Amino acid sequence: MLSMKMVRLAAIGCVAAFLSGTTAGTANAAIPESSESIKIAMNNWTSQNVLSYITGQLLEKMGYTVEYIPSDSQLQFQALGNGDLDFQVEVWEGSMAEAFAKSLEGGDVVDAGSHTAVTREDWWYPQYVKDVCPGLPDWKALDACAEKFATAETKPKGRFVGPPADWGKHYSERIQALKMNFQEVPVGQAATLWAELQAAYDRKEPIVLFNWTPNFIEAKFPGEFVDFPDPASDAKCKTQPEYCGAPKSGYLKKAAWKGVQEKWPAAFAVMQHINFNNEQIAKAASMVDTDGLSPEEAAAKWISDNPSAWKEWVPAD
Amino acid sequence: MSKPNKISCRNLWKVYGKDAQSFMAVHSNAPSLEDFRREQYVGAVRNVSFEVTTGEILVVMGLSGSGKSTLLRCLARLIDATSGAVCFDGQDITKATPEELIELRRHKMGMVFQNFGLLPHKTVLQNICFPLDVQGISRTRREERGMELAQLVGLAGKENFYPRELSGGQQQRVGIARSLAVEPDVWFLDEPFSALDPLIRRDMQDEFLRLQRALNKTIVFVTHDFEEAVRVADRIAIMKDGALVQLGRPEELVWCPADPYVAEFTRNAPRGKIISVGQIMVPTSAAASEISIRIDQKLDDVAPLVLGSDRSVKVIDHDDRVVGQVERDRLIAVMFSDGARQ
Amino acid sequence: MTASADSAASRSKSILPGILVGGAAVVSLILFAVAPDWARQWPAEQIVPLRDWVTRFFQWLANEASFGLFTVKDLTRLVSDILSGPLTITDGLLHKGFSQFGLAALPWITVVLIMGIVGYAIGGGRLGIATTLGFAYLAVFGMWPDAMKTFSLVLVTVPIAALIGLMLGILATRNQLAERVLSALFDVMQATPHLAYLGPIAIFFGFGAVPRLIATAIFAVPPMARCTILGLRTVAPEIIESGLMSGCTPRQLLWRVQLPAAQRTLLVGLNQVIMQTLAMVVIASLIGASGLGHRLLFSLQQLQMGKAIEYGVAIVVIAILLDRISQALIARNPARAPTEAEKAALLRTSVILGILLASSILVAWLVPAFRLLPKDMTFTTAPYWDQSIRWLSRTLFVYLEFFRDDVTTYILVPIRNLFLSLPWLPTCLLVATAGLLIGGWRLAVTAFLLLGFIAAIGFWVPAMMTLYLTSMAVIICVLLGLPIGICAAHRPRFTRFALALCDTLQTFPSFIYLIPVIMLFRVGDLASIIAIIAYAMVPIIRYTHLGLMRVPANTLEAGIACGCTGRQMLLKVELPQAVPEILLGLTQTITMALFMTSITALIGSRDLGQEILKALPAVDTGRGLLAGLSIAAIGITATRLIETWAVRRKRELGLA
Repeated sequence: MLSMKMVRLAAIGCVAAFLSGTTAGTANAAIPESSESIKIAMNNWTSQNVLSYITGQLLEKMGYTVEYIPSDSQLQFQALGNGDLDFQVEVWEGSMAEAFAKSLEGGDVVDAGSHTAVTREDWWYPQYVKDVCPGLPDWKALDACAEKFATAETKPKGRFVGPPADWGKHYSERIQALKMNFQEVPVGQAATLWAELQAAYDRKEPIVLFNWTPNFIEAKFPGEFVDFPDPASDAKCKTQPEYCGAPKSGYLKKAAWKGVQEKWPAAFAVMQHINFNNEQIAKAASMVDTDGLSPEEAAAKWISDNPSAWKEWVPAD
Repeated sequence: MSKPNKISCRNLWKVYGKDAQSFMAVHSNAPSLEDFRREQYVGAVRNVSFEVTTGEILVVMGLSGSGKSTLLRCLARLIDATSGAVCFDGQDITKATPEELIELRRHKMGMVFQNFGLLPHKTVLQNICFPLDVQGISRTRREERGMELAQLVGLAGKENFYPRELSGGQQQRVGIARSLAVEPDVWFLDEPFSALDPLIRRDMQDEFLRLQRALNKTIVFVTHDFEEAVRVADRIAIMKDGALVQLGRPEELVWCPADPYVAEFTRNAPRGKIISVGQIMVPTSAAASEISIRIDQKLDDVAPLVLGSDRSVKVIDHDDRVVGQVERDRLIAVMFSDGARQ
Repeated sequence: MTASADSAASRSKSILPGILVGGAAVVSLILFAVAPDWARQWPAEQIVPLRDWVTRFFQWLANEASFGLFTVKDLTRLVSDILSGPLTITDGLLHKGFSQFGLAALPWITVVLIMGIVGYAIGGGRLGIATTLGFAYLAVFGMWPDAMKTFSLVLVTVPIAALIGLMLGILATRNQLAERVLSALFDVMQATPHLAYLGPIAIFFGFGAVPRLIATAIFAVPPMARCTILGLRTVAPEIIESGLMSGCTPRQLLWRVQLPAAQRTLLVGLNQVIMQTLAMVVIASLIGASGLGHRLLFSLQQLQMGKAIEYGVAIVVIAILLDRISQALIARNPARAPTEAEKAALLRTSVILGILLASSILVAWLVPAFRLLPKDMTFTTAPYWDQSIRWLSRTLFVYLEFFRDDVTTYILVPIRNLFLSLPWLPTCLLVATAGLLIGGWRLAVTAFLLLGFIAAIGFWVPAMMTLYLTSMAVIICVLLGLPIGICAAHRPRFTRFALALCDTLQTFPSFIYLIPVIMLFRVGDLASIIAIIAYAMVPIIRYTHLGLMRVPANTLEAGIACGCTGRQMLLKVELPQAVPEILLGLTQTITMALFMTSITALIGSRDLGQEILKALPAVDTGRGLLAGLSIAAIGITATRLIETWAVRRKRELGLA
């Protein structure tokens, strides 16, 4: 313990000395308010990683030290509440709404605002399926050629490759409500979805599966969402929500540990200001997924290419 | 004898079973064989008493399972006896505290094991020095002593090898050297040569006797080999089913076995090497032969003389007085047939 | 005379169980048919809400429980802080550098050299070259920083886990009560899938490297402790006695006689610790360990199979190299201690090597490429892997589709329905009867309670699903593994291949199998079963090989002398003797198959594994832990039954 403390003290001293030499003049004298490092949550999809690195590198520019901590997209809320993580740049309505709401209730996590980007999660098919099943993206057209999606287990019903059972989607209920000739086969994780998609795509087999946007999949596989009754216009959706499709524009939020506000107020302000739109996110992700950069490199490149965007978020010197 | 008792062992019992102490208590410290059988206890050592005098070699003999190794371990208190006392120079070690016991072992006892019990991760020298090492004796001093001992047991030049590189005989030399490292008064040897092949066994026995002549320790030596016992023993104790059947000089055992079990042991013993002239002579003061043999000579040594003579041969004692005579037929009967004792 | 009496006795002995089995079968058939509803399905309202209790207990423990001055959480966080000390050092050396002193991490060229030297010093030239090339691979394929993150964790975890295991093992040999408690605990710990631990650990120890270290330690400690117990127990009594007679105090006896004499078994334990640690690399990244495991999962999510394979290979490379180093440590037996001249030579060599290392740092300082290879100097085989996997899935699927469909429709689905319809009470009773026949009352009661526990907490249906998946997988493992093991034992050339296959299958992160399996077999039971087989087949091959190799040579000669044909030799002489070993392999295969269900749950089966997986995000500690314990309960029941039988058989064969 003692030695840990000493290491920490030494670290604080050195870092402080170092920073006073290099960052004086560029940053507010009060920054960093605390020399401890800000811990940014890293999930396992591209856009989140690139956005996290962008945030982190911007904070580093301001003089903060940043640590990136990999974490499960659901477990992270516990960690955010404990202060083991300080910031999460992508909170998805579709998959995290419940856990996020719960942690907000607990009071240890704060909502750090929304991105302009909207999210959508629903049934999705690759483009070539349209040739097999004319009339798409309407769900009735899909239902009409359900048999083309059938496999040994689901015959004669069509197979819908659904999201992991714990993502809180009620697709089986929707199939029942709409009396569709489909059966949901849930997967255990996202990677399984993509494996199915890749295999079907290579063989040009009809497939309909769960997908969301923004997602790296869009860059690799052209395709579109199935149109279900629109919750915005269809009256039935008020009384019978499973009857309808997902909102076409769900939120994409940021979350922070409540302690960040007091510990690093300036950093918290930046977190609140950070804001991406769909196009930016897709581009950031494709730098990694298509151009083969590492997420760190993609973030650095994005920062040097888009000064006008981030200058609005970070206080000028 | 006038020599003082070094070790004395009185009414020693080692009983295995559920609750040996109360079993002994119930049968007032003298359970019968029947009691053991009925209550499913095993009497590994049963009521054994004996003394070993200073400088004496006592050999404990018996078949496997006779309790001889258990007895030895009770003497060294590697096993706690169930009842009875074992005294070293009058100190009862069954009552020694752990600290006293460690002191005792560090200064007074040495032990050699059947399968050597060498530490595989230490070299020959480190093994020999180990008893000194645990006492905290400085490295230079203990290694000096270690080299001496290696020299003594004929291992010079092998000091830096690991035990696994040595032959069985060499390994046992290490064991012997280690047991002598603290210059103990009492030396326990538990079947030290049984794991060796016969030729080497003989060498090692000679080696042992040579060492004993130089060191003059008090020794308890366990073996199952009667020939070996005869070679090294001053006295032999024969054990059967945990009890001491007979204790005496080799000659006494051969000449006058206490029971058929002992007789069976001694049957194939080299009588000629064990029995002395005094045992078979007919006492008389008026023997007429020119050839004379001495009363304490072994039969093997006198056989050519006796057999070569057509008459009885006279026997003389230390003062060259005639004390008896030996007949040829008697000698032949004793040496070459079973019915020796009639 | 006596022979015929004996055989009569044994005949009557063999008839008795026959009757019992027959009777039990009839009774259970009746029970299966007429069982009332409550005996088929544990009534929902009677389910013990143990899940909620456990979850709440953990929440209370984590947030409120206190020992007066400090809370449990303070305590666990203190542990974290202490553990992160050594980690700071290795992290600093290998990838972070010590910014407070202005020092950078060691350049890759230096680390590669150090590993090469270590390999050479312990295992000689070949191992030296292997370690050098292996670590160079990590740099050349552009995985250096991640590999060093992982390596740093391994370097800290292994000694800590080994030390804890050693201490627990010593404790167990000292105290009977401790031994009984620990041994039961180890059984459960080893039979519970890793994923089930992660929730509680994350609650107590937070996120990042330290909880990973702890999760790994939990899993790596039991084998080390077991090896310690075994090692201490098997030290020849004469060695202990010779220590005592040398005048050792109890402490000297332990540290200077018993432990060094048990060195080899302890090293085997250490080897196990290393392998377990690397097996945890991927899973632990779920709770915040960065490095190769995290990259691997990330690549899989991005459908970058090739990259995932490269990261997987990197893990395997580290695992195999460390394994070989520890094996070499076990195999090392120099004839004698070094002489003074040799010591001097050694010193000279070390000085030269030291200079070499120092100059490598200098070179790296001058030429940055030796510090960290720039991206354009590294290369990757990822696209080829991607292409070939996709090519495989395109070309093979046509043929596999029929196979898959037929097997699924005609075999798997009916069997699954059968399993899912098993009523709990008769099933438990049937297993208990088997326990009674094999091992007596205690075994029967244990088996009944373990399985009944699953029903009582409401996991019966997912448990039957797990049972179905694992039994199918185990059956196929035996059908495939037994012949491979036999071949390996009979054909030396094949042995190497088979053992290398085992090594690879075992160390290769099991997550990677999932993707190609899904591509070829689609989401479904068959995909799960095949993924399980890939992992669980290893022990049955290993133990079959081992069992056959251990058949005493004179028995073989006797068989040949009796004029057995090759077939007869195998069936009548070798296999019967190897049965105990093969059975042990079977228990291991079962345990591994059960383990894999928590990973194949990622494909999408609805079994206990899925329960664990679902509990993870919701921090539903009770659900995850109890599902894990249910898997453990199945595993322990199965292994107890088989082991008891194996021990009996071994005694009958006079091999024990």
